[in-house]
Amino acid sequence: MKERYSNPYVIGTVLGLILLFCFYTMGRGLGSSSSFARIATAGVNLVAPEHAKANGYYANYLRGGKSPLMSWLVFLTLGAALGGLFSAFISNRIKGEVARGPSIGVSIRLWLALGGGILSGFAARLARGCTSGQALTGASELAVGSWVFMLCIFIGAYGMAYFFKKEWL
Amino acid sequence: MMGPLYKFGWFGFAYSLQLAVLIGFLFGFVLERAGFGNPRKLTAIFYLRDFAVLKVMFTAIVVCIIGLLYFSVFGWIDLARVYLLPTFIWPQIVGGLVLGVGFVMGGYCPTTSVVATVSGKLDGLVFIVGMMIGSVFFAEIFPLIEKFYVSGSKGAIRLPDVFGINSGIIAFMVCLIAVGAFWLAENVEQKFGDKDTLPRPSPKIKRSAVALLILLGLTLSVINPDRTISKSAVPEMKPKQRTKAVQKPAAASKTPASSGFKIIGDEGC
Repeated sequence: MKERYSNPYVIGTVLGLILLFCFYTMGRGLGSSSSFARIATAGVNLVAPEHAKANGYYANYLRGGKSPLMSWLVFLTLGAALGGLFSAFISNRIKGEVARGPSIGVSIRLWLALGGGILSGFAARLARGCTSGQALTGASELAVGSWVFMLCIFIGAYGMAYFFKKEWL
Repeated sequence: MMGPLYKFGWFGFAYSLQLAVLIGFLFGFVLERAGFGNPRKLTAIFYLRDFAVLKVMFTAIVVCIIGLLYFSVFGWIDLARVYLLPTFIWPQIVGGLVLGVGFVMGGYCPTTSVVATVSGKLDGLVFIVGMMIGSVFFAEIFPLIEKFYVSGSKGAIRLPDVFGINSGIIAFMVCLIAVGAFWLAENVEQKFGDKDTLPRPSPKIKRSAVALLILLGLTLSVINPDRTISKSAVPEMKPKQRTKAVQKPAAASKTPASSGFKIIGDEGC
């Protein structure tokens, strides 16, 4: 049960170099949350194209008549899925399960995952990015808003951690 | 070759998408290596048991800050052409707080939920579905919150602008803060965490890494990388921007250059 993962400092150094490589080649950083907004937009556009075009936010993803999925970050997220799969595969960590602490049931954990996802999806759009696109990338550029954002993530999470103790411990 | 290669036209959009898959692959790979496909590992930081999240993020940030500034000093990258995230202070504060709650409630942040899903975790998939619902909800109420969404706009502003000191000194300070935070985190997790799962790097390596970090940061603060930023941005393409170095003239011009405009700018997360 006790999983041994790689040393976080080594991983951090490698991640920093990947990010640097990304800046060097593309002139931009990593990110992923907008991929999900784009997938959702593609869905909305499929079901109700008129509605999507009329909305200022969807419309921005639909600009130029291109598919909202033809975006750099969507491909990055696709790559991340492949990379994660490869890593999990080589260390035998692929296992169908609902990850949770020992004192919480499956269904409540799934509801909380859904709720957390909804909050995160909303918040990432509001802040124009998530932990990778906003916090990691922006902090490396010394962008002011990104540092404030990152600090607020920790404040929000530590502030509410008490209420979700049973979910994890 | 001076970077960013894409912005200098070394390759086109189609190739950039292939590169995205490669970079993404490495990104997802290291996240899984770190154990970030496991929500209990991720959330352990909020219960003071395992600070892997802080260590990975902070180390990556420090490495990248130093790397970017040295690249700029050596003339390997034109920072004026790197997309700088614009600051909208109010939505970023609220967004950060809510994302933090979503993190501890759902167990993931957006990218780590992808890694969790591919390693078979159903809750990761449910989290992704939730993110899509959250995004749709945001778009649907966007007309109502548009004003808030663009409030507190400060443009592409950086910490050196706020404190009025050069990027090198800020970078050095970040290095010092990082070392302090790591030291603190390790002491706290020794107390509350499970010693079997915590990493045990040799003290010798640790000491050399800290020394190297401080040396690199200190050098940066002495050579003032901002001078090179404006110098490298000057010649051919942006003659207008020959202003004082400290002002980061390039930074301000970056936002419109991304063609995005105030709403999304595409290049965010």
